[in-house]
Amino acid sequence: MTKRSLIVGPFNRVEGDLEIRLEIADGHVAAAYANAPLFRGFEMMMLGKDPMDALTITPRICGICSISQSAAAARALGQIAGQGQTSQGALASAILHGVENMCDHLTHFNLFFCADFARPAYHGRSWHDRAQARFTAMEGSAIRACVEARAEILHIVGLLGGKWPHTLAIQPGGVTRAPSARDRIRMASTLSAFRRYLETTLFGAPVEAFAELSSAQALRDWSRGDAGLFMEIAADLDLSAMGPGPGRYLSFGAYPLADSRAFAPGIWQGGASAPVNSAAIREDLSHAWMHGAAAHPAQGATHPDEDMKAPAYSWCKAPRLNGQSYETGALARQIIDGHPAALDLAQQGASVFARVAGRLLEVARTQILLESWVAALKPEERFIQEIQLPKTGSGEGLVEAARGALGHWISLREGKISAYQIIAPTTWNFSPRDESGCPGPVEAALVGAPVGAGEDTPLTVQHIVRSFDPCMVCTVH
Amino acid sequence: MAEEMDLAQIETFYDVMRSQGITRRSFMKYCALTASALGLGPALVPKIAHAMETKPRTPVIWVHGLECTCCSESFIRSAHPLAKDVVLSMISLDYDDTLMAAAGHAAEAAMMDTIERYKGNYILAVEGNPPLNEDGMFCISGGKPFVEKLKMAAKDAKAVISWGACASYGCVQAAKPNPTQATPVHKVITDKPIIKVPGCPPIAEVMTGVITYMLTFDRLPELDRQGRPAMFYGQRIHDKCYRRPHFDAGQFVEKWDDDNARKGYCLYKMGCKGPTTYNACSTIRWNEGLSFPIQSGHGCIGCSEDGFWDHGTFYDRVTDLTQFGVERNADQIGMAAAGVVGGAVAVHAAVSALKSAQHKAQKSSTSQNEEA
Repeated sequence: MTKRSLIVGPFNRVEGDLEIRLEIADGHVAAAYANAPLFRGFEMMMLGKDPMDALTITPRICGICSISQSAAAARALGQIAGQGQTSQGALASAILHGVENMCDHLTHFNLFFCADFARPAYHGRSWHDRAQARFTAMEGSAIRACVEARAEILHIVGLLGGKWPHTLAIQPGGVTRAPSARDRIRMASTLSAFRRYLETTLFGAPVEAFAELSSAQALRDWSRGDAGLFMEIAADLDLSAMGPGPGRYLSFGAYPLADSRAFAPGIWQGGASAPVNSAAIREDLSHAWMHGAAAHPAQGATHPDEDMKAPAYSWCKAPRLNGQSYETGALARQIIDGHPAALDLAQQGASVFARVAGRLLEVARTQILLESWVAALKPEERFIQEIQLPKTGSGEGLVEAARGALGHWISLREGKISAYQIIAPTTWNFSPRDESGCPGPVEAALVGAPVGAGEDTPLTVQHIVRSFDPCMVCTVH
Repeated sequence: MAEEMDLAQIETFYDVMRSQGITRRSFMKYCALTASALGLGPALVPKIAHAMETKPRTPVIWVHGLECTCCSESFIRSAHPLAKDVVLSMISLDYDDTLMAAAGHAAEAAMMDTIERYKGNYILAVEGNPPLNEDGMFCISGGKPFVEKLKMAAKDAKAVISWGACASYGCVQAAKPNPTQATPVHKVITDKPIIKVPGCPPIAEVMTGVITYMLTFDRLPELDRQGRPAMFYGQRIHDKCYRRPHFDAGQFVEKWDDDNARKGYCLYKMGCKGPTTYNACSTIRWNEGLSFPIQSGHGCIGCSEDGFWDHGTFYDRVTDLTQFGVERNADQIGMAAAGVVGGAVAVHAAVSALKSAQHKAQKSSTSQNEEA
């Protein structure tokens, strides 16, 4: 038996910094340790600040999920006030948020994930030439098309939110700009241009045709557009057998509208779904460079251990629900929302393939949702209501960022923020071990991955890690 | 350096663009765009074209410290697709953590290789900043504190660009109590010309404009006293704000959901920092010239100013304008305009007088800035 240890990182093409330590035995990963090496201390900075400042400061945790952060902060503040967004305000927020999530999925697919298929190591594969032409980092034709299409669809955020990243428009009571009838027409035409991009480039067919695929096999059989190229590569490299997850999925439910959330909240395990009980969340600190005991985020605190003492190995806390790790993200959202193809993928077990396919399904479904939301905007109605924050109180804001479940927990005392805790999607997915030694989802997914004798940045490891679309700046914040 | 090289081997900007499939016509269009973006006359277009045809390409190393990558996100969405395309291919971003293909040791090797090959000739673009607490252990890149990577990359750079509020001033992660001691680049790198391009993030066209200027003319653009390019940070957002007439007329939004908000009145009373913020948001705007925060009904938060994160709440009105007397008058006038329509004309006159006084004061302080 041969054993060695390998540190993989910096990863690049992920948002923020990431390092993974692998223990390798007989050419396979025996154990993995995910380290989030970037700590800024947002939860500490929020203390003593005016509650409304959360809307400006917390989005700056992340340059690609800033709307998600502001939506979570706005929702938590709204809960403290006992008031929420007007129904049209919620609709406008959903449009802003949906566009950001859409952009994140496309950036991941084109810029961060598929670029690895253009690597020379895959030379000789039947698809390699096409993968190189489409996905070579910074040059590939798909990358250029994606960057341009993304800039176009972000016009919607420009119209509703003034600027992106770090949009300020989302408030606890709604949005600061009531779109005019003219804005609505402009957004609709931007969306139809974006639909054209999706239908000619990504799917090579109407988005409905992809959104309505009803089984894992139907996904695998898809042959058109860049999605089809991915399916071909996935079959050849057997990405369905790579990077299993914990089999437990979590979604807080995406896009809270007046009546319900557009993608349902819940947890899913072994074929059964159940409601999320956020009171059963604990952040375990046993392997994080943090002082203190495991606590619910409403009672939690952030005290970094500057000595970085073992056995801790990451700045990331380990969130657990009912004492267990959960995978979160587009796949989880689609499973919990009951999409038949996603459920089929879940029954077969999570994998690199399932995560990317789940994301593509969500891209198609989000396009359809965005179009219906823009059509439902009523410029004459109220988009915001004034809310009154009490001096003391606490609330939670649960939303879905592109990468999964995002929560903000805020407490106020004497009109100032007295506690602020954030659990980001990648905090769930890239969490370190907990007290019982159970690894986080990506750590578990890496076990068993093959590593060649000479490989120092194993490709399989790259695919598995990137299939989760890590956002490391959000992870620790 | 250039003279020693074999002429045939010098790769110019134009060569790079041609190899990226950019046509001569597009190239000339790009030169014209650049000239106008930089506020230069049409007479300079041939000069820009000539420079791009003959100058060796300047390599750029782009590194990320403690940050959120919002600057890169802004950059890759620069207004003109052509400009974005050309700038991206022109600088080729010889090293960029977020966009490049390589990973792990290969990525680190690529950076060392660029440093070696272009010693003294490359531009270092820094996004984010180094945290200095605990020997820099809060931001580890490639197994070493980011501050070491930054110092190493800066050592042989021709000049350094500090992208965004993080690199320029520290930004939100430096907010009290600044847990990681996030430190702006110029406090760590002290022996290189540094150009600050603040904003959270900076406007895409400002970023491409600055970098194009440096690559084209091989020098820093004119900087203000704080080290920011004067062409983009010479005016306050308030000076060119399309809602400015409402300010002058004493028409203010008083609440998020009042009628005045829908009418697009001035956001000064909602905490807008436009009157104290130097940036180009109200002229160049965001998302390809489409809009900017004030246009979305939210006040400016002053994200291109030093310390914006710790200046009290973002929704309190600017209070350091009292030297102009605006604070008191905005209150009185807002109420007067809301209550007594007949009185509005006289009040307006009073504000206009104040405004010109304010302009004078502002002008003299600007010219001091320029002299300094």
